[in-house]
Amino acid sequence: MSPVAPRSNAPTDASPAEQPAPMYWRSLEQFEETPEFRDFVEREFPVAASEFPAGVSRRRWMQLMGAAFSLASAAGCRWQADQILPFAKRPKDRIPGVPQHFATAHELAGYARNLVVTAFDGRPIKVEGNREHPLSGGATDAISQAIVLDMYDPDRVRGVIEQNGGKVNVRTWDDFASFLSSLIAGARTSGGKGVRILAEASSSPTRQRLQAQLAELLPESKWVTWEAINRDAEIRAAELAFGRPLRAQYDLTKADVIVAFDSDLLGLHPANLKAMREWASRRTPETGSMNRTYVVESQFSTLGIAADHRLPIKSSQIPAYISALEARVDAVLGGESAEVDTTKPLGEQLLAAMAGDLVAAKGHSLVVAGPSLPPEAIARVHRLNEKLGNVGTTVGFIAEPLPVIGESLKPLVDEMAAGSVDVLLVLGGNPVYTAPADLDFAGAMQKVKHRIHLTDGPTGGETAALATWVLPRANPLEAWGDSLAWDGSLSVSQPLIAPLFEGKSDIELLSWMVGGSPVNGLDLVRETQESLSDKEWRKLVHDGFRGETAPAWMSAKVLADLQLPEAPEASEGLEVVFTPGETVFDGRFANNGWLQELPQNLTKMVWNNAAILAPKTAEELGVVIGSMVRVTLGNRSIELPAFVVPGQAIGSVGLALGYGRTAAGRVGGDTRQNVASVGANAFLLRSSGAGAVVQGGKVERIGGSRKMATTQDHHQIDQVGLQEIAGRVPQLVREGVLEEFQHHPDFAQHMVHHPPLESLWTEASFDGYAWGMSIDLSKCVGCNACVTACQAENNVPIVGREQVSRGREMHWIRVDRYFTGDFDNPRVVTQPVTCHHCENAPCEQVCPVGATTHSEEGLNDMAYNRCIGTRYCANNCPYKVRRFNFLDFNKKYEQANTELIQMVLNPEVTVRERGVIEKCTYCVQRIQSSKIVAKNEGRAVRDGEIVTACQQACAANAIEFGDLRNEESKVAKAHANSRAYAMLAELNVKPRTKYLARIRNPHPALGGRFEPTEHGHGHGGHGDDAHAEEGHGHGKAAHGDESKKAESKKAEH
Amino acid sequence: MATITTSIDNTQETPGHRAPLVIGHHTYGSITETVCRVAEAPHPPRAWYIAFAISVLLVLMLGGLITHLLLTGVGVWGNNSPVFWGWPIVNFVFWVGIGHAGTLISAILFLFRQNWRTSINRAAEAMTIFAVVCAGMYPGIHVGRIWLAWWLFPLGPNQNALWPQFRSPLLWDVFAVSTYASVSAVFWYMGMIPDLATFRDRATNKIKKFAYGALSLGWTGSARNWHRYERAYLILAALATPLVLSVHTIVSFDFAVSQLPGWHTTIFPPYFVAGAVFSGFGMVLTLMVPARELFGLKDLITLRHLENMCKVIIATGTIVGYAYAMEFFIAWYSGSRYEGFAFINRAFGPYWWAYWTMVTCNVISPQLFWFKKMRTSPWLMFIVSIFVNIGMWFERFVITITSLSRDFLPSSWGYFIPTWVDIAMFVGSFGLFFMLFLLFCRYLPIVAMAEVRGVALPQPTDGHAEHPASH
Repeated sequence: MSPVAPRSNAPTDASPAEQPAPMYWRSLEQFEETPEFRDFVEREFPVAASEFPAGVSRRRWMQLMGAAFSLASAAGCRWQADQILPFAKRPKDRIPGVPQHFATAHELAGYARNLVVTAFDGRPIKVEGNREHPLSGGATDAISQAIVLDMYDPDRVRGVIEQNGGKVNVRTWDDFASFLSSLIAGARTSGGKGVRILAEASSSPTRQRLQAQLAELLPESKWVTWEAINRDAEIRAAELAFGRPLRAQYDLTKADVIVAFDSDLLGLHPANLKAMREWASRRTPETGSMNRTYVVESQFSTLGIAADHRLPIKSSQIPAYISALEARVDAVLGGESAEVDTTKPLGEQLLAAMAGDLVAAKGHSLVVAGPSLPPEAIARVHRLNEKLGNVGTTVGFIAEPLPVIGESLKPLVDEMAAGSVDVLLVLGGNPVYTAPADLDFAGAMQKVKHRIHLTDGPTGGETAALATWVLPRANPLEAWGDSLAWDGSLSVSQPLIAPLFEGKSDIELLSWMVGGSPVNGLDLVRETQESLSDKEWRKLVHDGFRGETAPAWMSAKVLADLQLPEAPEASEGLEVVFTPGETVFDGRFANNGWLQELPQNLTKMVWNNAAILAPKTAEELGVVIGSMVRVTLGNRSIELPAFVVPGQAIGSVGLALGYGRTAAGRVGGDTRQNVASVGANAFLLRSSGAGAVVQGGKVERIGGSRKMATTQDHHQIDQVGLQEIAGRVPQLVREGVLEEFQHHPDFAQHMVHHPPLESLWTEASFDGYAWGMSIDLSKCVGCNACVTACQAENNVPIVGREQVSRGREMHWIRVDRYFTGDFDNPRVVTQPVTCHHCENAPCEQVCPVGATTHSEEGLNDMAYNRCIGTRYCANNCPYKVRRFNFLDFNKKYEQANTELIQMVLNPEVTVRERGVIEKCTYCVQRIQSSKIVAKNEGRAVRDGEIVTACQQACAANAIEFGDLRNEESKVAKAHANSRAYAMLAELNVKPRTKYLARIRNPHPALGGRFEPTEHGHGHGGHGDDAHAEEGHGHGKAAHGDESKKAESKKAEH
Repeated sequence: MATITTSIDNTQETPGHRAPLVIGHHTYGSITETVCRVAEAPHPPRAWYIAFAISVLLVLMLGGLITHLLLTGVGVWGNNSPVFWGWPIVNFVFWVGIGHAGTLISAILFLFRQNWRTSINRAAEAMTIFAVVCAGMYPGIHVGRIWLAWWLFPLGPNQNALWPQFRSPLLWDVFAVSTYASVSAVFWYMGMIPDLATFRDRATNKIKKFAYGALSLGWTGSARNWHRYERAYLILAALATPLVLSVHTIVSFDFAVSQLPGWHTTIFPPYFVAGAVFSGFGMVLTLMVPARELFGLKDLITLRHLENMCKVIIATGTIVGYAYAMEFFIAWYSGSRYEGFAFINRAFGPYWWAYWTMVTCNVISPQLFWFKKMRTSPWLMFIVSIFVNIGMWFERFVITITSLSRDFLPSSWGYFIPTWVDIAMFVGSFGLFFMLFLLFCRYLPIVAMAEVRGVALPQPTDGHAEHPASH
């Protein structure tokens, strides 16, 4: 192992945000001969340029590597910055150039996400799900994919900083050590009076252990947990319903009928991946009975996109709706008919349908409610599940490991404002930004004498700006830790790399406070698990989790005397619904370019949040997409653009949290560096005690408008276009109802009629592998994980808001979203689109320099070096999957201050230059790796051995990839599926990607019935029942009158 | 010195009596005098200076913008996904189209023995070459990696270890345009040799004598010279004739060979050629109307010439109009949803304004030339010719941009908004064009004197027809 050249322990650079006016810095300190100045002089170039990446102390390095290697689960080696020397002795299991994979976990707001991280030469570059873990099953969500970029964020705090009245002093951990020991010594004399610790929610057993030790040491100190986006309502609901805090666990594989209210089950729910996998497993008609999903919500969720029936109503009306459902279920259970009266309003119809279906599927149905609803409503859902006999089959409970957050900040702010707090230790998080706006947390915090913030900079910039001591926090991929997943199982996270900026983890800092000297995170976590034998511990670290620690489901009984108040009537006015930022969560990922540029599921908006309005609401307010509006709640208001979304509940205004950061960094906004905020800060409207849904909001147009950056519908679409889309979409995204599928399993193959597809010439054919892909639209819920996974795997550049708004986004895979039906309550279809690797590729024929050619295995290859950028191929691509580097989108990798980001690049994938075309390669690097392994072992590549990045991330298992010549392969079977169709096959491009038609399973009375005669089916081959001009492919109108009417209005806004 | 007279109306055809091609009682000498005077005058007209100064400034701007483009990338334009080809390609096709009139006039009309061509062919050919210069610039700078644009040429395996891809219409385009440019230039230059010799013989200073002397390649005016010259001219005319048809046919293949709805049509080759001739004559009118005024060439470039060009415009404009209608018909008749929509979208989609501008300028405005008054009033036809230029630019805009903006998958639909660089580069290319044309007007024989002399005399009202046409 080659040591990294010793360096000064000084932090490399205060992030530019932290730098003072340089003139004073230089002159005043010079006279004082302070350590800062000496250090400054020693460093030849006092900017980040010379010191990228930061050095790591030899001691730290030896500690970490020694520990890691001794455990046979070696943590990564760090990037060699200064000297590249060969290993005198190769570490065990380390082959240069061969990636290593380590199981770890990432805790988000108290819930572990179990991951396996790929490291190249000691450099973590790619996150995957932990295949062994029951929640992940190998899949990941977009946020987990993106955490690796956060680690290489050049805006991270690069060392210990002491701030004093606007003056920024670069310190070392040793400086902080002496400060801390005197601080603790002082605090101990008073028993810790005036010491407050403000932490993020965490389920870490080690942290709990240290917290208890600290409480022992400083009995007068107080520990406050704050998490702006929490699941309090669910815990409170369980307390209401069962008398104790319980956490609901679901098994969707057993659920025939699912009714969801404002649920985030397939969204940001901590068990979203399991839910997606299980939900999707019940959506293919050929593999068993399909579930039926009803969703009632105010704003489109992922589950709402996937649902068979969706009712948009205001969130404030949902509790009453749940009550009505309960009453209806009671009635049906009591023997009343569940007939659906189609003359009644949709809400009534669905109520009857849901009740009927739920009771019919008694014991195998599931009702879920999201954490944005009041606890009483969720408690009612618990009772409903019990009445339906679902407890024990589709729903079970475990003890809740996390505390209720509640209004924990209020007493703390009061104390701080009163001046009775001397020391405030903020363990991560960003309370200055996320605290309820009525509390004036920032003002109160400044009255505290010692304000210590363990921060990673971008995620906590606003709080760090007000701290007296800013300590670099280790990224989850840099530190040891432990946490509990949603199912209660223990996970251990291990570092993949030594901390880039000498960061310390929460537990390391706590142990320091408790024990007087910093303890290695590994020792701390191991100590918590001291009951484990070394073998068990090694297994735990290797696996990343301990499955046997997941508590068994208990079947809790709803309290017999549960009295739930009548659900309050929703008021007439507008309601404001705060939602976690789909990609930025509570703002902590605001500086992550991958997530900012990830199109939001439904709106396809990037780099922005907006006031989400229903078309009717927008019309009343006189606003269109992009109009600037002022949203007022009480005496506070924010200004942001409006975004009109069909299917938003009328009267409901959706506001995503996590935007409008002012100290996130160069990506998410930093006022001190003149980087504009991304979006508007909706936290400014949240007051303490108010839930996610607040009634009595006011929205007014303030004039002016903002061009919204979206990756689809870059511009408003006119009537001519809307009509055409209505006609076209059914041919592109083929859907049918279950009954239709049962009548005509191959209906999807007969929706477009075209002359026989013949080639003018004999087409080349090859033996060997024939790679192909299939995407099951029945399973896809449009969650976007594939998009980020692809971006991470293939070094897809981030282009920024301005470029996206010009239509220059670079994603190699995109999830197309179309609305069908009427504006107020449309259905949504999602369709991931990548390069189809056409056998008869139109792009290849038009390239004048032969930069894109066909491989013998059927890949449509791009020779980037050969490409001169005529863009003719992109014009001729019917799927528009080719992306062009209009500008030098990779400049940041070369600029001194942002060079760090290049560490995230996948060394197996070329970084593309300005002026060349790029596109999906079917992850050719993964294909080649597998082929090499297979060749060395003297065998053919096995089915399932090659997994593309998008496929690997997909929780719903919608994507299959493999060899089409191998008839036993999953992809060949999928292509042979009767639902399989090739999009735009009529162009005779012979795509290697096929879609499997989406089958929906609506209630028979609500569009689920299929009338064969209506569509001319039944005469052999149903060849003449549809024409391209007909607007909707036949069979499409199979869902009754209501949707027939809707078809004619099919529209994309 | 010939006096300019308008007393003869050579736009009337009297049976049994040919209308004169040159008016104003010209002699061979006075024709030479009239043409040479333009280049020999000590100072060009003030308007020339003003126009030249503006043009040079625009060329400097163009150079600056190309540098900006080179340093920054194609992103300086408004191009996006799906509109990967924007204004540069529109401008390319526009300029190539303009470059059609010259060779058509000199080659095809020569083969058809249309003697009236002689007064305008030189200027029209010059215009062709300058338009092709402007056109040729765009594909070169349009590619993403401009420094590698030379890979388009078949320099062969020795240099690049790879041939270009011969199936690509873009490659055919490289050959078509470069062949056209070189043949047109040779044709133009060769046709100019006798006139350059005249300039040489009349030169008053050494520099001119040397320059024109070198350019005239030792022309003596001997019978042998003339014989060889006329043979060569005929051969070159025969060579250039198919090129007139081929170059825009192949440019149209850039679109027609792709499978994009709105591009993928078999009507494109004839339609593009007709459109190109249409736009070319439009531009010749735009240039000749002021030029004959400015340089006192009204006797040589007579109303009859202008009227003939108007007739060509009305014919080709009508062909273009027919093509527009036929495109719609075929789009409907094909039964292809995508094809059908591409055309509905052109006329009624977000770019309706471009489409109707095109139709108004290209189909409706030339119909005014059915009126003789319109065909014989230079300034009215000048206005119409401007409309034709605008209309033909919009035709290329409509074809390129509206088709690209909405192709197969609605999820990828977009809208193109030009940037200031797009606009300024287009303006800059006009600067380049006019700078070259103004230099041509000042330093080269703008009318083919030798040829005009050959057809000008005798005039029916002129009694002095005596010398055979020779220098």
